[in-house]
Amino acid sequence: MRAVILDGLVLGLAFGLLGVGMSLVYGLGGVINLAYGQIVVLAAIVASLVIEDGRAQLVAAVAGVLAAAGVAVLLDLTLMRPVYREKGEDRTLLGLLLTLGAAFVIGGLLTWRYPDGALYIFIGGDPVSILGVPMARGSIWASVIALVVAALLLLFFGATTFGRGVRSVIQDETGARLVGINPSFVRTVIFALSGALAGIVAVTQSMSGPLGVNAGFELTTFALIVTVVGGLGSVAGAFLAGVLLGVVQSLSAHYIGQYITTIILLGVAALTILVRPRGLLGR
Amino acid sequence: MSDDAKTRGGRLGAVSGRLGWALLPIVVTAVVLAILPPIWFGDSPYTTSLAVQALVFASYGVGFNLIFGSTNQLFLCVGALAGIGGYGAAILADRTSLPVSAGVAVGTMSAALVGGLLSWIAVRRSLGVIFTGIVTLVFSLGFANLLLGQREWTGAESGLFVEGIPARLRDDQVGGYYLFAALLVAFLVVFRALQLSHVGWAFRALRDDEVAAELAGVNVSRYRIYAATIGSAMIGLTGAVLAYSTGFISPATYSFDRVDVRVLVLVAFGGLGTLLGPVVGAGVFAVLDEQLSSSFELREVLYGVFVILIFLFFRRGIVQAAVSLADRFRGGGRPQPDLQPSGE
Repeated sequence: MRAVILDGLVLGLAFGLLGVGMSLVYGLGGVINLAYGQIVVLAAIVASLVIEDGRAQLVAAVAGVLAAAGVAVLLDLTLMRPVYREKGEDRTLLGLLLTLGAAFVIGGLLTWRYPDGALYIFIGGDPVSILGVPMARGSIWASVIALVVAALLLLFFGATTFGRGVRSVIQDETGARLVGINPSFVRTVIFALSGALAGIVAVTQSMSGPLGVNAGFELTTFALIVTVVGGLGSVAGAFLAGVLLGVVQSLSAHYIGQYITTIILLGVAALTILVRPRGLLGR
Repeated sequence: MSDDAKTRGGRLGAVSGRLGWALLPIVVTAVVLAILPPIWFGDSPYTTSLAVQALVFASYGVGFNLIFGSTNQLFLCVGALAGIGGYGAAILADRTSLPVSAGVAVGTMSAALVGGLLSWIAVRRSLGVIFTGIVTLVFSLGFANLLLGQREWTGAESGLFVEGIPARLRDDQVGGYYLFAALLVAFLVVFRALQLSHVGWAFRALRDDEVAAELAGVNVSRYRIYAATIGSAMIGLTGAVLAYSTGFISPATYSFDRVDVRVLVLVAFGGLGTLLGPVVGAGVFAVLDEQLSSSFELREVLYGVFVILIFLFFRRGIVQAAVSLADRFRGGGRPQPDLQPSGE
């Protein structure tokens, strides 16, 4: 039982990290970035190429994160400009369709060029015993990174002036503009942050197993579910939702069976949305 | 279904007196669809099956358009609803000796019921566009998992063979083509009849401004559920007929990435809420697919570029763009969807 819960927590932190990047962009302007999973895959492929080139894994990881952030900024400066000129549901729909197009382009180019591309960051060493449960070092590293990222994000949004500026744009775009905050600059920064988070997801996911070139769609779906369950634009909500879903997944996989687990997971997500459409920590 | 729609259309004709105009685009579509086989693809089974695919997607598109384009409910479960129709029919045919029509009826009704239920939930919880989209997306994923898990009923990845339809109605035969063409025309008639009736007024009102519509006495919830039920029935019916006509279905036939993504893109391309949008969209995308068939991955890339360009430059769809262009030439007459479907 303890092992199952611990597994669930590890998985949940991974889910949370996956969701938080999408959640920030969603909360900021109502844009669901459907190319999110493809950006994760792009980071993974870049990192794997750097490793193939003979560099250290750490260098490769940094290169992957930077590449993902770069692509995200590119998306913001090109495709997102017309999207943010729209308002309300028109904006959401146009954002959905344009990022869907971007997902096709990025995913298609990557699978065309690197059909067998995959990233696997190998963390050596024996399993470490935590609370009497042996845990693989890769998962521990991944969880620590997720926790550090969560803490840094909370600190950034809670304690820095720029972070507060971002929150003001999330709450009220016009109001933020009136007090001298430039929403489009804030958006570009958040897109870069979201891209970097996608890159970190690529790194942590590949610590416990290879992350292949075709994983994009699945990653996007899970990120979307975590985002919605957690609440729009809420960092803590995304991690809370991730941990909730991770523990549910782990428990049901252990006690009920693997096949039914996905359905239970989806059921929990649907139920959360229906009972509390704002998400766990949404306003 | 088409008989019902015709009587309803007739009653409306007496009221509005514009029935001829309103039905003209459908008549033109029907004529074009009818003469395509002899003048274009004739007896090539390959081209016929491609045309049938286009018709199937156009039919899904009309159903989706009724749900999303008319009442703003983003149903990202077109594939799942079609799958409920298809698997409902197939499992019935597999387990019992009931006739094809019973299978189609059961499949259609199950899809209508599920679609209505999803809409009821969305309405009761007053979910917005995006949340409706996400709940139905979650439903789609759950359904796909169910298909894979219930191996003894659905055959999982290896799929199900569906028998019981005459050979000339197969999807690579001209008979099959006309079967789906008739289905599509019937759906268009229903769609237009709804547009012309008081239901259409309610749809327009609630799409433009939900609160104002509610204040003006339109029962928004009820019309949403109507639209979802009828649209889902169309999608389920198409899925069920497709199952019999192709003779084989698997989860891939109705998967999210094969059906929903495409339906969303082609309906938005043709123009949300327009009568012929889905037909034009399905035709254009069928031709595009055929032209880009050399490499699957490169096709995906070009598809993406195409999607981006379309939505950057023809936001309201190609049909709307053509209509407003035609209006400008005529000096601003009554908007009339007089575009002929291309590439069908």
